[in-house]
Amino acid sequence: MRFFDSHVHMVSRTTDDYQRMAAAGVAALIEPSFWQGQPRTEPGSFKDYFNSLVGFERFRASQFGIKHYCTIGLNPKEANNEKLADAVMELLPLYICKEGVVGIGEIGFDDQTKAEEKYLRIQAEMALEADLPIQIHTPHRDKKTGTIRTMDVLEDVGVDPRKVIIDHNNEETVKSVLDRGYWAAFTIYPHTKLGNERMIEIMREYGAERIVVDSSADWGISDPLAVPKTAALMKEAGIPLEEIEQVTYHNPLNAYGQSGQVQESDWEAAEGIDPTALFAGNTLLRGGQDIQKAMGSDDLVIR
Amino acid sequence: MVSPFLRDLLGRSAAAESMNWLDDEMAAMRADFNQRRFYFAFSGVSRRFDKHVSVATTEADRPELEKLCEGFSVTGWDEFRLARVILLTVLSEQPDSVYQETLEKVLGSADLREQVAIFSALPLLPEPGFLLGLAREGSRTNIVDVFDAIALGNPFPAAHFPEEAWNQLVLKSLFISRPLYRMQGIDERANATLAEALSNLAHERWAAGRYVSPELWRSCANFLTDTIVSDIERVATSDEPGQREAAALVTASDSENRLAHLRELLAKQLDAVRSGDLTWDSLGEMLATAS
Ligand SMILES: [Zn+2]
Repeated sequence: MRFFDSHVHMVSRTTDDYQRMAAAGVAALIEPSFWQGQPRTEPGSFKDYFNSLVGFERFRASQFGIKHYCTIGLNPKEANNEKLADAVMELLPLYICKEGVVGIGEIGFDDQTKAEEKYLRIQAEMALEADLPIQIHTPHRDKKTGTIRTMDVLEDVGVDPRKVIIDHNNEETVKSVLDRGYWAAFTIYPHTKLGNERMIEIMREYGAERIVVDSSADWGISDPLAVPKTAALMKEAGIPLEEIEQVTYHNPLNAYGQSGQVQESDWEAAEGIDPTALFAGNTLLRGGQDIQKAMGSDDLVIR
Repeated sequence: MVSPFLRDLLGRSAAAESMNWLDDEMAAMRADFNQRRFYFAFSGVSRRFDKHVSVATTEADRPELEKLCEGFSVTGWDEFRLARVILLTVLSEQPDSVYQETLEKVLGSADLREQVAIFSALPLLPEPGFLLGLAREGSRTNIVDVFDAIALGNPFPAAHFPEEAWNQLVLKSLFISRPLYRMQGIDERANATLAEALSNLAHERWAAGRYVSPELWRSCANFLTDTIVSDIERVATSDEPGQREAAALVTASDSENRLAHLRELLAKQLDAVRSGDLTWDSLGEMLATAS
C-alpha cells in the first residue's frame, strides 16, 4: 500500500524515520509550517525556516524516495507576538506561490486571542488571493469552541470549505466540521491527541468521505509511522480496503491537489533515488545502502 | 529592457494561455509595479509553464541571442527558467532602488529553480556592480545546478568577476567536476596566477592518486613556467582519455617552443589540432559525453 501523510514535521525527524516511512509505503508527505517548540524572536528565523521547507528538507526526503510538499504560514502560537507576526505577513507572499507549496498552514487558534484571529483572517485572505487550500490547526484546549470559531472566521472571509482541511479533530468536533462541508483530518498521536483505535470507531460512524488520517509527528513523542500503522489496524478491524486507501492516500491527495502543486504522477514518474546527489555539500546516503523494511515488530496500536 | 525575442522563444513551446498570463503580468508590472504581485508571478511561473519542456531554441537563434548580450545562451533551459528571466528583465525597468530591493528579497527566499533563473538572468540585467556581489555569493553554493547557472554558459563572470573571483570560479569548477569548456571566456580570462594555482591543484591531486581533468591545462597554455612544462611532459605520456590531447593542445599554442621536444610523441594529436578536429572545446565535449 502507498500512503500520503499530509501532516508531518520532518525537520524534527531523523533519517531513520525517513527510512522507516519509505519502507512502510509513505510515498509523499506534507510538512506544515509550525512553531518549533521554542518561540522565534526574529523574522529572519522564519525566512530560514521557510527556506529549509522548500529547500533542504525537500531534498532530504527525495534521498529516501519520498516526495515532500509543504504548507506555509504563521502558526497561532507565534501570532501573539504582533510585531513579529507583521514581519512574517510581509514574508509570506514570497513563499506561498512556490512550486510544491500546497496550501497556507498550519494556521488557526491556540489560546483563541484577538491577535490569533487577526492573523488567521489575514492568512485566509491570502489563501483566497493565491487560490490555495488552507490547513487548519485546531486548539488543544477548548477544542470544540475553537473549531467552530475557526469555521466562522473562514466563512466570514469567504473561503470555500471544500478548500479547507481542518486538522486534529476528535469525536467532539468531527460532526460539525463534516456538516459544514470541510475536510476533517485526524492526527494519530500518542498520549495527547487521538489513538488509532478511536479512529476506527470514528470511521465506523462517519465512513471515509472527506476524512483524512495523518501523523503530525514532530519534535515531541510521536510516531512517523502512524498512518501506515493505523491503516494496518483498520484492515485487522475489517474496515474495507477502499475506505482505508481513501483516508490514508486519496483524500489528502485530492484535498491538497486543489493547489495544482501535487499530483500522483510526481512520485509515480520519479526516477528512484540518486545516492550521490548533493545539496549544499551534504550527502545523506552512501552507495550500497538499502532502505530496510523497518516496521517489523512494532505494535500497531497507538494510544 | 525585455526582449520581444525571448518572449517569442518561450511562446514556441508554451501554451497560448500561459503566454497571455505572462503578457498580463508584464503589462501590470509596467503600469503599476507591486512587489507582492511580482513575487506571486515569479514563483507562480511554476503553475503556468512546464519544467519538463526545454526551450525550443536552435542554432539559427544565435544572432538574436548575441544581440541581447555577447555569449548569451539559453541552451538546455526549461520553460520555468526562461519565463522567470523574462520577468526579471521587466523588473529591472523599475527604478534602481525598487529593482535591487526586490531582486535581493526574491533571491533570499528562492528555491532551487528560482535561484537558477536569477543567476541565468545576470547578463541581461543592469547594475553589474550590484549583481557582482550576488553572483560571487551565489558561486559559493554547493548546489550543482545553481553553480552551473553562474559558471557555465553564462557570460557574466568573464565580463565582471575580478581576477581572484574568476580564478576561484575556475578552480571550483574543477573541484566539482564541471565541464570547463562551457565556461564563457575561459581562454580570455586565463592568467599567470590561475595557471600556477591550477598546476598546484594538479600536483595535489596526483600526490593523492586522484584524477586530474585534461581541461585543467587549458588556462595554463599561455603561461608556461618550468613547472608547467614538466607537468605537460607528464600529461603527454598519460594513457587516460584526453590527457595526450590536452598536452597536444598546449604544445600547439606554445609560441616559445618550450614544448618542442614533445612534438614527435604527440604527432598524431598535433595533426588533429592542425586539421581542426581537436580543439579545447571538442576535447571538453568528448570528456563530458564520456563521463
Ligand atoms: Zn503540526
